[in-house]
Amino acid sequence: MTSFMNRHADSSVMGSLRACLRAATSSSPVATWGLLMILLAVIALLSLLFGAGDVGPGRAWQALSDFDAAAMHDSEAHFVIGELRLPRLGIGLVVGIALGIAGALLQAVTRNPLAEPGLLGVSAGSAFAVTLAILWGADAATLRISVAQLGALGGCLCVLAAARLQGIGNDPVRLILAGAILSGLLHSLSSLILLFDQYTADEIRFWVVGSLAGRDAADLMPLAPSLALAALLTVILARPLAALALGEHVAIGLGHHPRMVRLLVIVVVALLVGGATAIAGPVAFVGLVVPFAARALAGPDIRRTLWFCLPLGPIVVVSADIVSRLVVPPSELPLGVITALIGAPVLIAVVRRRRLPML
Amino acid sequence: MSNTLSTASRPTQPGMTSCSRTQTPSQARTGKLFLTLPLGQRLPLRFVVDKRNLIVNLSLMGLLLLLTGGSLAIGSAATLSASATFEALLGQGSALDNFVVRELRLPRVVAGIVTGSAFALAGCLMQTVARNRLATPGIVGLDNGATAFAVASVIGTGISLAPPAMALTGAAVAAALTFGLTGSIGVRGYRFLVAGIGVGAVFGAITQLMLTRVSIDAANAAYPWTVGSLNARPAHAVSILSLALLPALLAAIRLTRSLTVMRLSDAVATSLGVSTSRCRLMALSVAVILTGLAVAVAGPVGMVALIGPEFARQISARNTVPVVGATLAGAIVMLAADLLGRVILAPIEVPVGIITALTGSPLLLWILLNPHTRTTP
Amino acid sequence: MTQEAFVSAPVDDDSAPDIATQGLSLAYGNVSVIEGLELRLPAGQVTAIVGPNGCGKSTLLSGLSRLLKPCAGAVLLDGADIQRVPSRQLAKRLALLPQHPHAPEALTVAELVRFGRHPHQSWLCQWSSDDKACVDEALAMTGLTTLAERPVDALSGGQRQRAWIALAIAQQTSTLLLDEPTSALDLGHQVEVYELIRSLTAAGKTIVMVIHDLVGACRYADHLIAMHQGQILAEGPPGETVTADLVRRLYGVDCTLMTDPATGAPLLTNVRRTRDALDGSAT
Repeated sequence: MTSFMNRHADSSVMGSLRACLRAATSSSPVATWGLLMILLAVIALLSLLFGAGDVGPGRAWQALSDFDAAAMHDSEAHFVIGELRLPRLGIGLVVGIALGIAGALLQAVTRNPLAEPGLLGVSAGSAFAVTLAILWGADAATLRISVAQLGALGGCLCVLAAARLQGIGNDPVRLILAGAILSGLLHSLSSLILLFDQYTADEIRFWVVGSLAGRDAADLMPLAPSLALAALLTVILARPLAALALGEHVAIGLGHHPRMVRLLVIVVVALLVGGATAIAGPVAFVGLVVPFAARALAGPDIRRTLWFCLPLGPIVVVSADIVSRLVVPPSELPLGVITALIGAPVLIAVVRRRRLPML
Repeated sequence: MSNTLSTASRPTQPGMTSCSRTQTPSQARTGKLFLTLPLGQRLPLRFVVDKRNLIVNLSLMGLLLLLTGGSLAIGSAATLSASATFEALLGQGSALDNFVVRELRLPRVVAGIVTGSAFALAGCLMQTVARNRLATPGIVGLDNGATAFAVASVIGTGISLAPPAMALTGAAVAAALTFGLTGSIGVRGYRFLVAGIGVGAVFGAITQLMLTRVSIDAANAAYPWTVGSLNARPAHAVSILSLALLPALLAAIRLTRSLTVMRLSDAVATSLGVSTSRCRLMALSVAVILTGLAVAVAGPVGMVALIGPEFARQISARNTVPVVGATLAGAIVMLAADLLGRVILAPIEVPVGIITALTGSPLLLWILLNPHTRTTP
Repeated sequence: MTQEAFVSAPVDDDSAPDIATQGLSLAYGNVSVIEGLELRLPAGQVTAIVGPNGCGKSTLLSGLSRLLKPCAGAVLLDGADIQRVPSRQLAKRLALLPQHPHAPEALTVAELVRFGRHPHQSWLCQWSSDDKACVDEALAMTGLTTLAERPVDALSGGQRQRAWIALAIAQQTSTLLLDEPTSALDLGHQVEVYELIRSLTAAGKTIVMVIHDLVGACRYADHLIAMHQGQILAEGPPGETVTADLVRRLYGVDCTLMTDPATGAPLLTNVRRTRDALDGSAT
């Protein structure tokens, strides 16, 4: 009987919340999007102002308002902002957009509101591929990106294969379980490798935690081609994906090619997740939280959802990064910890609903 | 065909159909042993024992003894013959042999037996109660919860209770969260498993959080709790678990009758007089306690809770809840994994958690993805 | 076993079980389904509870079998509130067969029926000489003796339902509660199960069944209870209770009532939507 009570309580609270949001945003989605962009700008500014070190908001603001002059007056602030926080912000923006869009695409292609690159083992695939690559001696930045993307592709293909299997394709929850098990397996394999190669272990230990701290912004450059390709493909695939949401047979009837669409979407997800993982390490739950929020604001249409993921992704990641800097000064929390602490309750909230929404 | 008309000839004593007392041939084929302890007529003690389970359990005990001997004899330090091992165990071999067997391997083997049994028993209970072969305490987040609390106590962030108590608390908290957040288990299918993944992720994040905040030495000290290993386990944790294991097993055996009935459905079980909520609560409490205490010893070796009961279920009589078999199988799996870990990449020792994860994950995936296997135990 | 063991087998002395409700209110969460229901079920007869979807009949059965706790009022068995009766005791007097019962894989019919003996066993006394006898008796009554070693999921729908009823018979209760025992069955199997139910009453049991099938209820029930939106609209023998007006109020359809020449039960014919519904307005 408790479960019945939970169901009704859920639907009333969440339902009214969502109804409010829908009412507020349906009047003008463009206005909402504009507001989100403004929010993103504010958060970006905050990320430049706040940090774990000695450069507090006051000094940072001074340095920002007159950047070149600060090089002479307050070289420390100039350095921190120019060399540390600004690149970090840039990475956060890119990772946020990449993971957010990848999450939305993955959920659309598996028609599963719980699908998430971290949960489904895609990030784990990337991480494992990078571990193997380092073990076998490769370390150049470009190579690491490509390797991570290949690993992500492998993970995606496993997920897709599992999703097509009889009986589990229809149950969103079983897919998540399969992904969790796959992640666990890859994690154990990585641990095994790290056991008997100390060099790899040292290289990996810092990266595998998933954080924006200490990452090299120069790594963003080699990533640009993949991101451009991913963006192009996303734009092309948005309309067929929307049709796919109606079901495979309906989509075929409307003249689309679901199999090709699915394959291309997987490639895009691999490019995005592989790229993000290569730079920041495996970060989980972003691809769950961002589409969840985007859908709450935008409604079920995948195209609108993708537009809303654009500001929401960086908002989530950069905010999480700011929190990671402020919670335990002078040290920092890994980003993955914050995203897990936000994302897990979202996961539980989604799973508690009486009927998981079919996408 | 239908004998319904024949009932007209029976005495219509309302409420009770008369039962004849002739032995029927169907009883001979049940595969069960009917035992009576003649303690007088006021207290008829009668037990039903499944023949196949009895044979299976005896065989498993034999296998366990064999593995124990093997684990004591084989290793990277020295490999001893059977007689040499026996002598060393009694303290009558050479000084080196005595040391290797009694100081190095014996504590390890004991830890392996008790933790393997505990994990597997907890897994068996949870899977039966959830009607789901995948419901291992690990997936449900209990392992991570226990680990987080145990690491907290080792690192000493202000809380200085002994690890077993902390691990137990952690497991209990994780269980309360997972089951509290999704309502009653066994009713909502897989969803509580996903909620458990979420809860587990939170605790995993908390553990990582703690590990990044402390010195490298403290982090290394806490490392075994994050991976699952039988190397140099704290003796008092092993003792506490050993003390808890026997009562837990007895409680599980006591619950077997009700659990067997609950395999049908909640409604039918309630109709047959089983208090389903009480039974579930007891079974889950035992599972949580065992998991917490076992994690305090060996860290999160969650896969044993899957492999052990699965193995026991495959070889035991179908449609029974093989608690004893699962316990023995868990000990066997743990010892085997530990032995493998010590031998396979010698002199590097692969922690038992990794071995079980590598063998258990494919099994788990196969159960989940194979459309022909049922996911109810 | 010995004579003493047989005599000591529990025989509940409920010669005429008296099931009644007193101001019973049942709800799922905040949604109230039944409020203040007063009901008395006749002993030794087949009572059918009928009504449209959502009228609360399954909820009522859940309340009667203690699956659902009442938020007000009580269900009384021989004057005692069933919430206070120990589970095992209650299980010896009331048996429930829920909708869509599901047997684990490869469970044989005999093993399934053996479960029915559970309330009569305890941890210290896990079997008795009565068990074998009662199981065989139940199998004989349901005509499944030859199928005793077949797996339940290999049986036909009607046979499977009879196996579950055999479980309830082996429980040796005076009352059986059945939730839609014939919904998923074809005509032949439906008749099979209905005739079994009637034979159980002939053997002295009280049966309460929730069914969709008004025609079957009229034919096979001694006492009919018609529910609508959590309230009892009418109760009594089918011949007196079922009127065209009742059918219209329950289901929103018009019909012509005749009397079945063979059994004397009311027979619905010429069932059609009411003229209001045809106009498009809500009924």
